[in-house]
Amino acid sequence: MANSKKSFHISDFSKYMCLVSIVLVFGVFSVIIPNFMTPYSLQNMMTEAAPLLLMAGGMSFIIYTGGIDLGAGAMVSCTCVLSGVYVAQFGNAIIPIMLAAGILMGLTNGLLVTKLKLPSFIVTLCTMNFWSYIALNLCPNGSEIIPMDKRFMVQWATQKVLGIPIMFFIALAGVAVLYIFQQYTVYGKAIYGVGANVSATRLAGVNTDMAQISAFVISGACSALAGALYAYKLKSAVPTVGDALTLTAIASVALGGTSMAGGRGSVLRTALGVVTITGVTSGLNMMGVDPLWKDIVIGVILIIAVCLNTDTRGRDLIVK
Amino acid sequence: MGELLFEAKGVGKTYGANTVLHDIDMQIYGGEVIGLIGENGAGKSTLMKLISGVEKSSMGEMFFMGKPYSASSILDANHQGIGMVFQEQSLVGSLTIAQNIYLGREKKYSTCGFVNWNKMNQDARKALERIDMDIDPSKKVRDIDFAARQMVEIAKVLDVVTEAANGHAIILLDEPTTVLSDEEIRKLFVQVRNMKEQGNAVIFISHRLDEVLEITDRIYVFKDGEETAVMQTEGADVNLLYEKMIGRSTTGEFYVEHKQTVPSDEVILEVNDLSLFGAFNHVSFELKRGEVLGLCGVEGSGKEDVCAVLVGDAAPTAGTIKIRGKECTFANPYQARKKGILSVPKERRDEGMIGILSIEDNIIVSHMDSLSNHSFLSAKKTRRIAQEWVEKAGVKCVSINDRINQLSGGNAQKVIFARALESGCEVLILNHPTRGVDVGSKEEIYDLVRDMTAAGNSIILLGDTLDECIGLSSRIIVLRDGLVTGMFDCPVGDKPLQLDIVQKMM
Repeated sequence: MANSKKSFHISDFSKYMCLVSIVLVFGVFSVIIPNFMTPYSLQNMMTEAAPLLLMAGGMSFIIYTGGIDLGAGAMVSCTCVLSGVYVAQFGNAIIPIMLAAGILMGLTNGLLVTKLKLPSFIVTLCTMNFWSYIALNLCPNGSEIIPMDKRFMVQWATQKVLGIPIMFFIALAGVAVLYIFQQYTVYGKAIYGVGANVSATRLAGVNTDMAQISAFVISGACSALAGALYAYKLKSAVPTVGDALTLTAIASVALGGTSMAGGRGSVLRTALGVVTITGVTSGLNMMGVDPLWKDIVIGVILIIAVCLNTDTRGRDLIVK
Repeated sequence: MGELLFEAKGVGKTYGANTVLHDIDMQIYGGEVIGLIGENGAGKSTLMKLISGVEKSSMGEMFFMGKPYSASSILDANHQGIGMVFQEQSLVGSLTIAQNIYLGREKKYSTCGFVNWNKMNQDARKALERIDMDIDPSKKVRDIDFAARQMVEIAKVLDVVTEAANGHAIILLDEPTTVLSDEEIRKLFVQVRNMKEQGNAVIFISHRLDEVLEITDRIYVFKDGEETAVMQTEGADVNLLYEKMIGRSTTGEFYVEHKQTVPSDEVILEVNDLSLFGAFNHVSFELKRGEVLGLCGVEGSGKEDVCAVLVGDAAPTAGTIKIRGKECTFANPYQARKKGILSVPKERRDEGMIGILSIEDNIIVSHMDSLSNHSFLSAKKTRRIAQEWVEKAGVKCVSINDRINQLSGGNAQKVIFARALESGCEVLILNHPTRGVDVGSKEEIYDLVRDMTAAGNSIILLGDTLDECIGLSSRIIVLRDGLVTGMFDCPVGDKPLQLDIVQKMM
C-alpha cells in the first residue's frame, strides 16, 4: 500500500524463507555434526520425512481454505494402528483400505464444517478424540509389533532403490499428485478462492462447500497414507505416533510460507518446510539432545515462521 | 468571518499509479460551515480521510492554526482538535453509548484500573445533552436505531474535539443526513449552527444539494479528484451546483444511449408473486432478452433483497422464478449460476474481488467448471481467456498475474464484469456497478453494459444513482416498502423524469 517499497523487501524475504532456512539448517548441522551429510544419515532423513511430506501436503489444502485440522495427528495414529493390526490379515491391500478410511474421516470433518457451519478448529478438535479412541482401543497395551512371520509383507517400503527408500518415492508421488490438483484443477482454484474471500467466491457461483469438503477429504486421505507408512516404517502399530505430528505438519506448512489466513501457498513450499523440519529434528537427535526439546524447537520455529508471514501481507487480510 | 483555522495547499493523494485527488487548495475559517460536493469518486471522502488522519497525503501541505499539520491517526487528529463523523459508522455495537463516547479516553474515569461507570455515564449524559439528545447512556449501541447512532457519533466527536480545542475545532461530517429523518436533520442543523457560533468550523458533505445550500456558508465543488469551483453559498442555486459538479448539462451521451438495444420479445426470466418475509411482497416482472431492467427504490425498499433471492443468496418465502419458462429454485449462488443467473455484487471489496488471487483467477472463477476437461484446467487456455478479457475490457494492469487488490476500484470492477461476461450466464444482476468508480472507468463500464445486452444478455440493474439507472435501463421498476409501486418504459429519447420516479419511491 502506502509503504509498498518497504513491504516489498520483507515479502521478498518470506518468498525465499524456506530456501534460506534449509541452507542454514543443513549448513550449521553439517559443521557441528561430521556425519550429518553422509548417505546413511540422508537415507534416514528421507524415511523420516516421507510420511510427514504426505501429511503436511494434505494439511496445506485445509490451510489454503483458511481452516486447520487439529486432528490430523490423531488420524495418523488411528490409521497407523489399523494398518499395523490388520496388515497381517489383508496384506498390502491395507493401503487402499486406509486411503478409503482417510477419505471417510476427512468427509466427516468436511461435512461438519460446511453443513453445520462450524469453525474447523472446533470440529477437528472434537473429531480428533474419535480417531484417538479408535487407536487406543485397538492397542490398549501400547504399541503392538507386526508378527515376525508377517514382516515380509511390509519390508519393501523401507527397501532402497538407487539408494533412496521406496517410501520416499511414494511420498514424492503423493506431492506430485497434490501439486497437480492444486495447480490444474477446478477444485484447486476453488479451494484458494475459499481461503482468499469466501463470500466473493460463493457469490461468483462457486460451490464453496464442495471445495471445503474436498480439502478435508484430501487431507484425510494423505494423513491416512502417512499413518500406513508409519506402520510400515516402525513395523508396529503405535497408537501415539501422531501425537506430536499435528504441530510438526502445521509448522512445515507455515515454514514454507503458506499463509495461515488462507488463499495462497503451495505444496512444493510445504515440502521444503518438511525438509527443513526433518533436518532440524534429525540434527538434534544426532547431537544427542533430549527428545523432549524437539517439540519446543518446532514450536519456536512455527512462531517465527508465522510471524514472518503475517508481517508481510497480514495487513491485506486483517484490515478489510 | 473568523480567523483562518485550516489551510490546505496543493494536497493530493495517489494509490499506485491512480491519482484520486489532485492539487486541492482549501481555506477554512472559524465560525464557518463549508459544503463539499461532488459525484461519487470525486475525492470528497479521500480529502476527509487525509484531514482526519485516516490516510497520509501523497503531496502538498496542510496547516492548522498557522502551524504545519499532519495527523498520524484519527486519535492524533482528535487530540489536535479535528474530528470526523464517519459515513460508515464507527461505533462498537456491544458497548454502551457512554463507553463508546469515551472509548480510548477511559483513563480519566479510572482509578487503579477500575472504571467509575457512574461518573462516565453522567458525563456522557452531559455530552448528549449538548446536542439536545435525551437517551440513556448506559444503553448498548446495538439496541438503538441508526439515526440515534449517528447522533451519538456526533456527540462523541464533538466531545473529543471541544476537549482538545474549544472554540477552534474542526468537525467533518461525511454524509451525516443519509440515515436521518427530516426532524432529525433539523435537529442536526441546529447543532451545526451551535458549533459554528462557538467559533468552530464544520465541513459538511452531502449529496442533497438543498441541504448544502441551507446550512453552509461556502461551497467547494470537486470533480474527478480536482477542485472545480469555490463559491459563496449566497447566490448559488441547485442548477449551478449541479452543472459545476457534473460538468455537462445533458447526460445522454454519457450513458452510451446510442448503443441501447431494443429488447426482443423473448422472455428469459419470469418472476411471479415473489415474496421474502419481512423484505418484499408480491413482486412480479418479466425480463426480456437484451433488456436492462432497472430496480429503483430507497434503502430498505426491498430491491437488494429481490437480488439476493434471484442470485440464490436467500430463499423466497413464496412465489416462483422461471427461466425460459422452466421453474427453478436455487439453494445457493452456485445453483443460480448453473441456471444462468450471476451477480456483480455491491460491496466490491468484500463480495466481488477475491482479493489475493490473480486477475486471471478472478476472471475465470465463474466459468472454470465448464472450461475444464474432467475438472482439469488448461493453463494455456485460461491465460488466453484472461488476456483477451483484460484487453477487451481495458483493464490497466502490468500482467494478468497481478493480484486483483492491487488494481484501482474501476479496474477491479472491470475484471469482475469480465468474470460475469465470461461466466456465460444469460441473466446478470448488476448491483451498484459503478460504486466508487472514477468517471473515466464509469464510461467504460457503461460501454461494457451495452456490449452485454448487444451479446444477448439480460440485465437487472440497481444503479448507484437514479440518473444512472434511468440512463442505462430500457425499463424501470420502482419499489417502495417491499411492494412494486411503478413501472416506467425508458426508450432512447423518451426517458422518464427523475421527479416522476422519485415520487413513486417516497
